[in-house]
Amino acid sequence: MEGGELEMRRRRAADARTRMYRLAIAAMVVGLLGPVVTGQDGDLYTESDFLTRTRRLTIEGKRAGEGYYRPDGAKLVFQSEREPENPFYQIYVLDLETGDSRRISPGHGKTTCAFFQPGSSLIMYASTQHDPESKALQAAEIAFRESGEERRYAWDYDPEMEIYTFDQDTGKYTRLTDVRGYDAEGSYSPDGEWLVFTSMRDAYNRELTSDERKQLELDPSYFAEIYIMRADGLGQRRLTDVVGYDGGPFFSPDGSKIVWRRFDETGLIADVWTMNLDGSNQQQITDFHSMSWAPYFHPSGEYIFFASNKLGFTNFEVYIVDASGAKEPVRITYTDGFDGLPVPSPDGQVLSWTSNRAGGQAGQIFLGRWNHNKALEALAAAPPRRTSGNQGAAGGE
Amino acid sequence: MVRRLFAQVFLTIAVLGPYGLARPAVAQDGWRTQPHVEALAADALEGRLTGSDGARVAADYIVEQLRALGATFLPGRSDFRLPFEFTAGVNDAGTLLTLDAATGWNVSDNVQALSFSDSAVAEGEVVFAGYGLVVPDSQDFGYDSYATLDVTDKIVVVLRYFPEDVDQDLRNVLARYSGLRYKAMAARQRGAKALLVLTGPRSPNAGLTIPMTFDTAISGSGIVGASISGAVGDALFEYVPDRSVEATQAELDTGNPHVAGFQIDGVRLTLDVKVTRESRSGFNVAGYLPPSATPVSSTDGKSYVMLGAHYDHLGLGLQGNSLARNSERGEIHNGADDNASGVAAVIEAGRALTAADRRRGVILAFWSGEELGLLGSANFVETEAVPTGQISAYLNFDMVGRARDNRLALQAVGSSSAWHGLIERANVPVGFDVQIQLDPYLPTDVMSFNGAGIPSLNFFTGSHTDYHRPSDDASAVNYEDLDRVARLGTIIARNVANRDTPLDFVRVEQIEPQGQRASVRAFTGTIPDYTAEVEGLLLGGVIEGGPAAKAGLQEGDVIIEFAGQSITNIYDYTYALDAVKVDELITVIFMRAGDRHEVTMTPTARP
Repeated sequence: MEGGELEMRRRRAADARTRMYRLAIAAMVVGLLGPVVTGQDGDLYTESDFLTRTRRLTIEGKRAGEGYYRPDGAKLVFQSEREPENPFYQIYVLDLETGDSRRISPGHGKTTCAFFQPGSSLIMYASTQHDPESKALQAAEIAFRESGEERRYAWDYDPEMEIYTFDQDTGKYTRLTDVRGYDAEGSYSPDGEWLVFTSMRDAYNRELTSDERKQLELDPSYFAEIYIMRADGLGQRRLTDVVGYDGGPFFSPDGSKIVWRRFDETGLIADVWTMNLDGSNQQQITDFHSMSWAPYFHPSGEYIFFASNKLGFTNFEVYIVDASGAKEPVRITYTDGFDGLPVPSPDGQVLSWTSNRAGGQAGQIFLGRWNHNKALEALAAAPPRRTSGNQGAAGGE
Repeated sequence: MVRRLFAQVFLTIAVLGPYGLARPAVAQDGWRTQPHVEALAADALEGRLTGSDGARVAADYIVEQLRALGATFLPGRSDFRLPFEFTAGVNDAGTLLTLDAATGWNVSDNVQALSFSDSAVAEGEVVFAGYGLVVPDSQDFGYDSYATLDVTDKIVVVLRYFPEDVDQDLRNVLARYSGLRYKAMAARQRGAKALLVLTGPRSPNAGLTIPMTFDTAISGSGIVGASISGAVGDALFEYVPDRSVEATQAELDTGNPHVAGFQIDGVRLTLDVKVTRESRSGFNVAGYLPPSATPVSSTDGKSYVMLGAHYDHLGLGLQGNSLARNSERGEIHNGADDNASGVAAVIEAGRALTAADRRRGVILAFWSGEELGLLGSANFVETEAVPTGQISAYLNFDMVGRARDNRLALQAVGSSSAWHGLIERANVPVGFDVQIQLDPYLPTDVMSFNGAGIPSLNFFTGSHTDYHRPSDDASAVNYEDLDRVARLGTIIARNVANRDTPLDFVRVEQIEPQGQRASVRAFTGTIPDYTAEVEGLLLGGVIEGGPAAKAGLQEGDVIIEFAGQSITNIYDYTYALDAVKVDELITVIFMRAGDRHEVTMTPTARP
């Protein structure tokens, strides 16, 4: 979902800037990123300082992304559009030893954001597979694409999206959420006991003001908040309470923190935040005054990967920042186009991320050998964090 | 890799070390592919020119390797060697042009056979037909040098190239129809007996005859033709009242399609073209690994998977396709990357496949004559050495020894919808940063198989400074990654061999537009990078001191507009290059690090 959400962000940002960005939008048609502007950032490093033997992992299909490792590092679960019958993402498990891949979602509907449960045979993901409309929606999308018309690729925050698990041993699907409003972007705690996720249920479970109704029509993600529940779906509890899109939560490796990204009310600016599992101690970690999102902890717990378009509207690059956000983030990727959704392997030696650096197509998953020592060195040498003067609102405690 | 398809682009360039990276570390011991490359690229094999003793020794080595790994002959054969005949060279053996009893020209300075001409005598009246251009109506521009002329049974004299003073748009159109073969065909279609080509005084190479090239000389064309010198042209124009060649050309150079040619009254010419083509024999080498597991259903019909690489190279580089620097001329072109590396990959993939389950038979093929124009693979396909309808897929390895930055180009991927999935699966454990390229119209043996409707895949690690030079040596090969190329090929071949259903074949539309290109005469010194597929022309480098370098272009730049033509691929660039005028300023627009830049450049005349 993050890739789609990103497109949505871009579109909204462009609209908000009074259509000044017509060209930029054109370049983003169907997720195809055009040439981007690489800013000067007083670069101290190059990509090869941190990433070597970089390679494209996924090749089949129109797009792929959000690859998350099984805790033993032997498999990767990801989303991809690669079957002609369904123009939406489905979930696949890739065996990193043999290269064999297997779809684990049912093949119909929209799906996104999968994650292995530590210590079990379950894979969690979000899906509209129960929606009786789902096959009609697929057919409509295919017909639209065949018509030759084009539109911007956009994530629609389908309110039918619910969180499921798939049991790799039994093949059984279990639905964990059952509330109208988009429920997705889930991930497990390291002990497998808890799930954090994003929900837009707040837009549907109460009477909205007329301004809020307009907002919902324009962009439901405005209502997105972070929730936590037990791995069986019980005990669902809201952790954030600030307007604007709170989403993409993951646990820290020791299970004591949640890292996520918080958009401001306009949907243009996002930053990485951390909080305790009860929603207390919310701390802003980045402050580029740009769209910084998709955070994920390195397994050492020392630092957080994230992506930001600090250097240009469509030029997302991967950065790292120390876990407390005391220092200025360090840039990792230096390749034109989109680089985002960074996820390190469980042993911390490999970085998986999503990029369109292969050109001509939407994003695909890439891997590179990760230089952890160089990362620590660069973080230690980084200057204190600069502030943009635009501190996001803390709240929800 | 043969230089035919991209010959003109390559000829205007030389190949430099892309990316400015250091060569791979000195080869270590223990890589499986290394002994093969070292054996085949040894000086003793003298560059493995097709038909030479060196090529014979190379073939012997390959046969020995096939025996050692347990391969058998192809079904129905009694030898690993598959011979074929080819034209090894073309020479003017004394072409004579006679005006009358007293005036004859026979020295090559004054008359020279066109390299594709047949040997024959033509005698007749003479018609001057301008530039000899015929542009089809589909081009929205009518231009027919023969519109007002009757050339039936006559000898036609035309100017080389196309009108010099036309605007850029028209140049782009005319350039496509100004190739010598195209002009010769146009003359023949109008009933002419022979064609004489004169390089006008207002054109580059003014007054010179056209050197015979090997590229176009593979077979005769049913055409009788020669080029003539300025002196011969002047002698003919003495019969034209009040008009010099130069004044006539100047009028034509406006591009006005109504400027007509004319009969040269009172002249009869006899053209006696004598061309010799040297026929020699070369041979492909092929071995076979029969199915080792339950064969696929007999109704399937796709019994074979094929892996191939050409083993020939340029010998001493005297055939015209060498890029040796002056100081290196005549040295042995060892061809370690091109293509001992591909041969080594196929041998080692074959060895690994002997141990794998195979539901289809595996053919290991080694081509000769590739550098002369894909002769060996074309012969294999034409003669149906195995029925081409039974080949489920063809994997080609050409220049796979210089991997840099973990990059491997996989080309011709558009030839089947199954390739993406097969590549993804095989590459997960092997781990190359694969560059997917769809176009199957490649200057290598894939062309022969794609043309026969066989899903094809080409492995390529990119061009480099030593391409087609004596310095393409075994010591510069990246053996670690070459072993990985062999492994990737092994896995893909195994998975193809064991598929329940054969691969579908997708016929990719060829981008190259109709018509035939003129020989490029402008030199820019750009070096295209063929390993990446981008919108535009990605430069692997520029030649030091060349027009591109002077204009400030550098490696990594992507040319998107050239002399007013938008450039989306190599073909666009080639045509744009055809159409520019030498020594005139043009504008080049390119992308660098995401920014658009505009520079001016002055192409020079190609040597």
